[in-house]
Amino acid sequence: MNTNNRWLLPEGVDEILPPKAILLEQICRKIIDLYTTWGYEFVIPPMVEYLESLLTATGEDLDLQTYKITDQISGRLMGVRADITPQVARIDAHLMKQDTPTRLCYLGSVLHSRSDSFGDSRSPLQLGAELFGHAGVSSDIEIVKLMLATLNSLEIDNICIDIGHIGIFRSLISESKLTPEKEMEVFEIVKRKAKDELKKFYKKLKINDNSSKALLDLVDLHGDVSILEDATKSIAKFFPEVKKHINEIKAVSESIADEPNLSINVDLAELRGYNYHTGMIYTAYVPDEGKGVAFGGRYDDIGRAFGRARPATGFSADVKQLLELHNCEKVKITRIFAPSDSDPALKKKIKDLREQGKIVVQELEGQKHTAVEMNCSLSLIHENNDWIIKDNKK
Amino acid sequence: MSDKITIAVSKGRIFDEALPLLAKIDVIPKDDPQNSRKLILETNKNNVQILVIRATDVPTYVERGAAELGIAGKDVLLEYQGDGFYEPIDLGIAKCKMMLAGLKGVKKEITRPRIATKYTNITQNYFSNFGKQVEIIKLYGSMELAPILGLADQIVDLVDTGKTLEANGLVPYERIADISSRLIVNKASMKLKSTAIKSFIEKLSDVIEVAE
Repeated sequence: MNTNNRWLLPEGVDEILPPKAILLEQICRKIIDLYTTWGYEFVIPPMVEYLESLLTATGEDLDLQTYKITDQISGRLMGVRADITPQVARIDAHLMKQDTPTRLCYLGSVLHSRSDSFGDSRSPLQLGAELFGHAGVSSDIEIVKLMLATLNSLEIDNICIDIGHIGIFRSLISESKLTPEKEMEVFEIVKRKAKDELKKFYKKLKINDNSSKALLDLVDLHGDVSILEDATKSIAKFFPEVKKHINEIKAVSESIADEPNLSINVDLAELRGYNYHTGMIYTAYVPDEGKGVAFGGRYDDIGRAFGRARPATGFSADVKQLLELHNCEKVKITRIFAPSDSDPALKKKIKDLREQGKIVVQELEGQKHTAVEMNCSLSLIHENNDWIIKDNKK
Repeated sequence: MSDKITIAVSKGRIFDEALPLLAKIDVIPKDDPQNSRKLILETNKNNVQILVIRATDVPTYVERGAAELGIAGKDVLLEYQGDGFYEPIDLGIAKCKMMLAGLKGVKKEITRPRIATKYTNITQNYFSNFGKQVEIIKLYGSMELAPILGLADQIVDLVDTGKTLEANGLVPYERIADISSRLIVNKASMKLKSTAIKSFIEKLSDVIEVAE
């Protein structure tokens, strides 16, 4: 490798420097504190574990995203986690063994073998909260509210919450009489909302049953909550199960309808995480960000492979992405410069200031750099037998 | 929240054929696009602007949210690796075919053919779908030359009338896909600017149905 490139980081791998890094740390603390007040217990899963447990019930996408290494001790394959959620589900299913609802939260780096064609980062800092052991809509409501509280705590405004329900597409496609391959084709088309393609697809196969009509309607069923009425009239008539799903979405959207600066979008054909989610899915968007900022949803079956199928719902976000949305410029960090001086009164003053949480940078012996060069806006000055703080500009 | 809509349109034939469609829903560039050298065209609608960019860049602009909407050929979309956008309308313009072709009078069945193409992903997918291993040679233009000079055995390329193939002594073997231009929409914009974008899609969809 060219020695000039030694500083280069791998593609999609980033680091965070001052002053942003401390801000990120503060955001993390703030959010973990918030989750703690909501009764979510903090867990720290390992960076690597055996592949089987990492990839359980998560589908092929996560497999491709996971770096694999051989464990020299057991000879088994280990994976560097690409997502913390399955780890937390394993903890709930296997280690906690409680039947009560369990609330867990986590924060940690994950590694992606390739960036989603979209997000650039291959090393997100994943933060999330998961609620296990409750199958009803009230746990979904709690998770959506916590997701909003997370964004609000960072003063991220004008959020748009998009709510969908994987169960709707599942019900409709299971009523169709297509082969699994053709079902997959329909899935790929609906995912892209390519209505014209879907029309052609059905025309070619000469299908015109209730399932196909409902799926064609489904593609257009996105927009404000009023589309739930349209869906009830058009689809739910023939598919009573769908009615139940629609009512769940209604319950969640009503529960957050009063939140300020929030818009609610409903998208019944949203299929994000289809292999993994089992019920409602929710995504937070903010203006001018071309992608979602927080992703959540229900995934009831994941614990089965660990011996205990438990209903589960939760969400996660990349804190690095949240940091970019958080108004960093508002936060000012003030540093106080203290001269190199053995006066006991100065020592005491510095100690007191630090105990108050102030940042004091002491000059090192023989140092020639000034307070301003050291990024300190204030200085400790000896005046009238006392050490006082002065603004360097004056 | 501003409901500004930016449409990224592929330069060339697609742009030329898309303009009349946009005019039907009353979106008309202020400057004459033939004479203007501007890369961003303002339109008669305050909240709508048009970007004229290279075809392969359209999905990138839309997926990353630099443009809310895009108009691109299905060939470009099939080749693009990513699914950060919706594809609601088949505009039915700039129609052509993605074809596999080879030299006239040459054996078609080869164990491991060398295929010259610009569309490496599409070619790879097409052949791997029926379990055939091929060697792909990426070229950026004038595919027809490759078999003539022995650089490749066959080519995968867009074919409109088939005249270029014929003129160079090539014959079409298989049709890989029918190509036409699609309207694509950034996923986040579809949610954030739902009202504006949905009404745009509906209007455009109506004029296309009439055209068909």
